[in-house]
Amino acid sequence: MPLPHDFAQPAVRRAWIRRLLDPSDEAKWNELAGELFAWQFMHVPAYRRLCLAHGVTPENLASWRDIPAVPQQLFKQALLYAHGSTPTEAIYVTSGTTTGQPGRQHLLSTDIYRAVSVEGARRAGLFSRDIELHFLTPSPREASYSSLSAMFGFWQKAFRQSFPRPRFWVRRGHFEFARLRETLTEQIKARRPIAICGTAFSFVHLIDAWTDLPPLRLPRGSWLLETGGFKGRSREVSKTELYAQLARTFGVRDDAIWNEYGMSELSSQAYARGRNGLHHTPPWARVLVCNPATGREVRVGKQGLIRWIDLANTDSVLALQTLDVAERTARGFRLIGRLPRTEPRGCSLSADDLAARTESSSPTP
Amino acid sequence: MTTRQRIDLLARAYPRLFPRAELLRLLRVQLGHVDALDGWFLRDGVRVRARAPKIIYHICAGNLAVSAWTSLAHGLLLGARNVMKLPGDREDSSTHCEILDFIRGLPAPLRKLVETHRSLDVDLLHRADTVVAFGSDTTMKSLRALIRWNQKFIAHGHAVSLLWLADPNRLTPSQARACAVDVLTYDQLGCLSPQAIYVPPGTDFDALGRKLTRALEAHWRQLKKKPARPLSVAARITEARDMANALGHGVWLPPKNHLDWTLIHDPNPAFQPSPLHGVIYLRQVTETHLPTALAAVVGRISTVGTVGQISSSLQQSFINLGVSRFCAAGRMQFPPLTWHHDGRSSLADLVTWIDSENLT
Repeated sequence: MPLPHDFAQPAVRRAWIRRLLDPSDEAKWNELAGELFAWQFMHVPAYRRLCLAHGVTPENLASWRDIPAVPQQLFKQALLYAHGSTPTEAIYVTSGTTTGQPGRQHLLSTDIYRAVSVEGARRAGLFSRDIELHFLTPSPREASYSSLSAMFGFWQKAFRQSFPRPRFWVRRGHFEFARLRETLTEQIKARRPIAICGTAFSFVHLIDAWTDLPPLRLPRGSWLLETGGFKGRSREVSKTELYAQLARTFGVRDDAIWNEYGMSELSSQAYARGRNGLHHTPPWARVLVCNPATGREVRVGKQGLIRWIDLANTDSVLALQTLDVAERTARGFRLIGRLPRTEPRGCSLSADDLAARTESSSPTP
Repeated sequence: MTTRQRIDLLARAYPRLFPRAELLRLLRVQLGHVDALDGWFLRDGVRVRARAPKIIYHICAGNLAVSAWTSLAHGLLLGARNVMKLPGDREDSSTHCEILDFIRGLPAPLRKLVETHRSLDVDLLHRADTVVAFGSDTTMKSLRALIRWNQKFIAHGHAVSLLWLADPNRLTPSQARACAVDVLTYDQLGCLSPQAIYVPPGTDFDALGRKLTRALEAHWRQLKKKPARPLSVAARITEARDMANALGHGVWLPPKNHLDWTLIHDPNPAFQPSPLHGVIYLRQVTETHLPTALAAVVGRISTVGTVGQISSSLQQSFINLGVSRFCAAGRMQFPPLTWHHDGRSSLADLVTWIDSENLT
């Protein structure tokens, strides 16, 4: 077996981007996955240990489907970085909302992340026309730890000729909803299509802030993009309720609301349109809906856990096992949501409870 | 109906769970006399009798039925009206059904004293003399806000348990089996289930792992009812295994990797909750470092099961950390009825007393 590429070399990375973005058949996909797996097996000790425990090595890997996936949780407890002591250009930090402990995604360079997040959005059909772009997040400069802000920053730069004044509406930790509304009102008058992108909970904040204001009516061709799940920080809202409220607040149809499904530990994203839309990955990433008991894909129509194989995730690990539940369909997957808390609701202390207790330092009753 | 009649009925219906002799002992130990609810008896020169609560509101946890059964048995012994708020149905728990089955198995005169509710009846909760609740700390906190100032509230929140092996290098097969019984009983879901096995320095982990592995598998094979492994449970077990493998911890798995037990040697002595369902962590700690290792669960440790002699200084260290029960390995899940759950006298806590001093 030939030595894997050195993904630390800029030329190799540029070539990898070209190969990723090319149309790919199954054989080529398998080849790319094998190459990246071999590199990461060699350079990420924690990943190598996991693969060896599963009995999978670059030498005996038969198919990309057999590539072992690291638990998402591992990003919180181990350094998953394929470049040793070489400094990183970016470290993205997960929110840590579930256990209080954040995970970290280390990138040698943001070049591949930039390329695929821009191209992924384009291929999903988000940027097919000129549009006024708004982000309900801090700017990448203000939130250098946020992969979401980084991605929005990449979009801002990539599409700046089409979209003259993209704006980030969180400054110094505060939403600037009043100024956003003024700007939107002007743009609506000018009948320019508008796109607003943010986390689900930022939209919840916005809806709460504008409860007493009349709904807007965004011009034709406008869309909203929400991401990051539905565990709001102010209050929890179901997806159905959120989409209904967004449609009402902005005067858009359900199919003008997109969900971006991605995470800091990955470089690629899946997109779905409308409340009941299926998620689709770009060609360089695939999702398997797996049964955790067998490790194998479930049948079409059945539910399982989402496992990502992301060929753009060169600097850490390409295969990620999430605790997100989805239904496998013939053409994509239907995201159900985060696995419900499985710890017993009884007297036994769970990891989440312990984390919550540590965070709040609540007294022992 | 007298207390003795209720004891007979309960013991006849559930002789293994509630043996007559143990029920009589419970009354004697906690109330001072078997007939304390039915008449006067002399205590320290004063005639006293116990008064049972009229209504007890039991809030049952979703993890284990046995805590609800025991709580209900206490209420029945006292002849109280027992209102049971049942846990919700879950794919990974049969507790709801098991509580209902238990009630169905009661003789009619006792069954008449029980009613069940699927949701919290706040009005009835207010009218109860006593509220006994099992569940998460959050549940306890929200319930406390609903309690009247003069209402008894007996809250059993979160707790954990652990095993201590004094001389793991000389662990015998029967001792290993006793540990396996503790780990696998009730699928490790109760507060008496050990989540970690602590051992002193100098432990040969390879040898210990092999012994425990054999015991866990042998005991699992003997279990008549194998626990269910729905998606959510399987996910947590496989996650724990993959995490341990990636972190380079020692991992022992069953043959063919079935999901019913997992043994992990985590070199970090600090207690971390297990995902349960048969996932048990081996941790090494010195007696000196025990308080640091268990700092996260101070005041939350219910039971320490032991194999071998436990020194008085070590026992004192555990006591200082809030441990309320020590027992031999293999008995963790089977406390006597007189057990002080969370350090409390479960039956005595429910009654009030009437004193009749010298009236002449």
